[in-house]
Amino acid sequence: MKKISRRKFLYCSAAVVSTAMPFHPFWPFTGTDSEASRSVDIRGRIVKGGAPAKLWKWSHEGFLYKKLKENRVVCGICPNRCVLAPGDLSVCRSKVNIDGTLYSMTYGNPCSMHVDPIEKKPLFHFKPKTLAFSLAAAGCNFRCLNCQNWEISQVKPWQVRHIELFPAEVVIEAKRAGAKSIAYTYSEPTTFFEYMIDIARLARGNGLCNLWVSNGYINQKPLLELCKVLDAANVNLKAYSDAIYRKLNGGRLQPVLNTFMTLHEQGVHFEVTNLVVPGYVDDADMAKRMCEWILKNLGPDYPLHFLRFFPRYKLDRLAPTPISTLTRFRELAMQEGIHYVYVGNVPGHEGNNTYCHNCGKLLVERKGYLIPIYNLVGNKCKFCNSIIPGVWIDDC
Amino acid sequence: MKRKSERAITLIVIATGISSVVTQLLIIREFLAQFQGNEFVIALVLFNWLIIGGIGILLAHIAIKGFWRATASRLGWLSFCLACLPALQIMAIRGLRDYFFIYGSSVGFYPTLAYTFITIAPYGLLLGFVLPYSLFVLRLEKPDYPGAFIYMTDNIGDVTGGALFSFILVYLVTPLQAVFLSNLPLLAAACFLFISIRRHHPAAFIGTGLALAILLAGVFMEPASLATSKGEPIYYHESRYGRIAVYKDKEQFTLFMDGTPVFSSQNLTMAEETIHYPLSQLDNPQKTLIISAQGGMLEELQKYRPARIDYVELDPEVSSVLFRFGLIKDIPGLHVIHQDARAYLTKSDEIYDAIIVNLPEPETFQINRFFTDRFFAVAKQHLAGSGILSFSVQGFDSYLAEPQVRKISSLYNTVSEHFEHVLLLPGERIFFLCSDNPINLDIPACLAEKGISTSYISGFYYGNLTNERIAGLNNLLDPAAPKNIDESPQLMRLMFLQWFAKFSTSPNRFIVGLTVLLIIYLVRIAREEFVLFSTGFMTMGSEILVIFAFQIFFGYIYFQIGLIITVFLAGLLPGAWFGEKLRGSGKHMLIITDCLLISLLSFFILAMKYGGDRLPVVSFLLFGFVISLMCGFQFPVALRLRGGNNRVVTRAFSADLIGAAFGILLTSVALIPYLGIVWATAGLIGLKLTSLTIMATRHEKNK
Repeated sequence: MKKISRRKFLYCSAAVVSTAMPFHPFWPFTGTDSEASRSVDIRGRIVKGGAPAKLWKWSHEGFLYKKLKENRVVCGICPNRCVLAPGDLSVCRSKVNIDGTLYSMTYGNPCSMHVDPIEKKPLFHFKPKTLAFSLAAAGCNFRCLNCQNWEISQVKPWQVRHIELFPAEVVIEAKRAGAKSIAYTYSEPTTFFEYMIDIARLARGNGLCNLWVSNGYINQKPLLELCKVLDAANVNLKAYSDAIYRKLNGGRLQPVLNTFMTLHEQGVHFEVTNLVVPGYVDDADMAKRMCEWILKNLGPDYPLHFLRFFPRYKLDRLAPTPISTLTRFRELAMQEGIHYVYVGNVPGHEGNNTYCHNCGKLLVERKGYLIPIYNLVGNKCKFCNSIIPGVWIDDC
Repeated sequence: MKRKSERAITLIVIATGISSVVTQLLIIREFLAQFQGNEFVIALVLFNWLIIGGIGILLAHIAIKGFWRATASRLGWLSFCLACLPALQIMAIRGLRDYFFIYGSSVGFYPTLAYTFITIAPYGLLLGFVLPYSLFVLRLEKPDYPGAFIYMTDNIGDVTGGALFSFILVYLVTPLQAVFLSNLPLLAAACFLFISIRRHHPAAFIGTGLALAILLAGVFMEPASLATSKGEPIYYHESRYGRIAVYKDKEQFTLFMDGTPVFSSQNLTMAEETIHYPLSQLDNPQKTLIISAQGGMLEELQKYRPARIDYVELDPEVSSVLFRFGLIKDIPGLHVIHQDARAYLTKSDEIYDAIIVNLPEPETFQINRFFTDRFFAVAKQHLAGSGILSFSVQGFDSYLAEPQVRKISSLYNTVSEHFEHVLLLPGERIFFLCSDNPINLDIPACLAEKGISTSYISGFYYGNLTNERIAGLNNLLDPAAPKNIDESPQLMRLMFLQWFAKFSTSPNRFIVGLTVLLIIYLVRIAREEFVLFSTGFMTMGSEILVIFAFQIFFGYIYFQIGLIITVFLAGLLPGAWFGEKLRGSGKHMLIITDCLLISLLSFFILAMKYGGDRLPVVSFLLFGFVISLMCGFQFPVALRLRGGNNRVVTRAFSADLIGAAFGILLTSVALIPYLGIVWATAGLIGLKLTSLTIMATRHEKNK
């Protein structure tokens, strides 16, 4: 066998290594954030050493966590159950371990704040025509490829502009804006749980309602605590498929289903949204299975919104959902027995309106956020006197 | 070596040149269709292509020294492989995308780098390998066969391939048909080689058959390779500007351009916003110019009963498809103009009540021209006194991220120089309404007054575009943000930042890695190789600069840009011929040509500064030709200076290719976006001055 000189060996090794460098994202053992290595499960990862060196003004000790050996902590807010060593940053990017204590970095520093019509959440059966004071802090425990708020959900709290607004000030601002409720929305409010629950407690005491617009990826213990002050929720059931949850969202299905059960058991009004992503969620059989599960476990009265998908963020190479697919899903869900099924993101569609489940008459006509026709008296149909599920009167 | 086989090898080199350039152009188009079509990706593909070619050349040198001696029959087999690979490569690029990446998702920088590298590597390495290998085979019989002849012969193939694709194949055939046609000469040349050396006749016959079968399989499997898992493909065409496909899902038609859904038959919201936001501000809009259109727009426009609508679309195929599938409607008064919209406006005498720009994000040099200071000035000249200009960029839901704040601030500062009132409206897209008249914020009321009904605006405007949201957006604007001008496209670097932010990544690791490799390479090469490296860098850099400048002044004119690319190849051949023929001090020749190149670039700066738009088109062609002439000239001279043996030839070829790779990457994504056209050219002059200094301080040992 021909001998090779040391110099040649070094050259060849360098050539092999440098040629292999671009393959880096495909290496099976890599800790990269690339698409390729996440083709099956895109769940987020803990950022080792990603915490800032010291706390800031908007840090607050975590609501629910357990201390482990060697100063490690495990966060108990969401099913990710991040185990953080000192200096680590959680999957949701808003929790850090500083010297063995878990801190939220999003307490009193919302990065987005608007006053929205409540129909925008969407909540169609909760105090229609009112305004919701809506706020968000940075972070999310999912990695949805089609996130429409990725600029705040997929970043660290110190990477965004924010304003300082501690819970008491939020309540004052909400009242000043003429809002009837405070909505925790845009990013994932579960990640700023400590901030949210403190605002919610104060809001409840001040006659404001609390709205939780969420992916539903939360553990039962914090959810039960939240339910004590929660008036309504819109929870996004991304798909009735664990595989799609893992592939498009970086989460799991079962914890979300558990959230629906808990909300139901606690008597919180909620509405379900389902974004119909072409090629993934536009499977009629899957929609049917989802409706069956809802009916069996939650009953027919919770409104279900099928939303039209538009290309967004990283999922931008798919066509929008055809309107007829949404129409068909609505019909299918109603045939299955769900009483109130809506079509969203399609202006002028019949599925924007509310029809009485008993007499079939038009109860609420919606033209965008405008409501030209309103045929409810209290919480009853004007025509047949049936009780329409939801919160229609001011009882917060 | 028999004369006949020498001729066969020469034919192989020419045919390889044809195949390689056609394949290169097809691969770029394929990657643009599979990945994001921004300037970064284009530069990355070309960079990988050239670097891999350079590695292939170096491998050839290592191979013939050790385990794989040069023989004519091996060259024949390599040529068969080379002819088959483009078809397999294109199929692999299409087929593996959804295997490695999530269907329907876009891909970030590092995965794109890895994917392009991996899929280009087999063909690129072999291509780089074959060129010097052909020379080594020729030198078996003629040890003094000049390396420069191979360079020239390859160049004949390159020019032929470039012209064949740009002016014939792109109009007539699909990618895999083009691969089939452009590789037939290589197959024929390989057969001829086997015949001329009178060996392996049956094997050669089988090899040819196999290669033909693979190429034909590609042609027949093309429709299947384009199918996606969602929607029924009902139209597919490769236009000069990219891939156009229409998919039908239920009743909805969606037009995909280069893999991205751009127009859908059911996007009412976008149609209403694009048309009614600007036109609601006018009393009686009679003449409107639309720069590119999308589903439902013309129906909305018809509600104003305009007398004339000029709709400008660069690609005739796009407008034809839009009409054919009912994505836009042919309404009374509509005039369709197939031209670069900026070139049209510059030459037109028409005055419009409204100009509505409906273009994608300014991610490429071509699109950026519609968001610059000069374009806004031209648009203003074509507006009536109370006229309105409207355009939009990507918007936001609840939070505007920092790169976007800088982007819209730059745009605002640029356009507000020309209009007294500029208002930004938030939403999925941020609309800029620009006029000399005050802009009324209450658009639903304006529409109600005109009796125009809408579905989206009438119901959603007051909730989505609250005064608080509009004020919030307009308050974010930074008056210190630099303007976006033609010569210094600020927006493009902001778009790059936005792209990296979207994938939570940074190019820093790549830049550091590349810098380290480049330093190691530069430290190890000879002075003459550095001259070739810098000339390769400068030639590709100049080509990018000339195309960029040409588009600014004359618009995107496919034929003329094709000509510019061709002349940048065409000068190499006569240049190399002169370099081979001219005798005298090689060192002085290199110094003189470096001086000439520096002078040419200095002229280019002067032309850009003082009236590039007054230059005739032919001056751009002449500039490209002379640059490539000098580049071609230096190659044989540098070879002669170094002795011209096999090792020298491979290193010279590599230096040229690696220089070109860095030239295209750095000029496209760093020099022009960050420094502007003038300083980018100055950067190239700086590189050439370094080369000049290095040569001038060289002591000729052989005197």
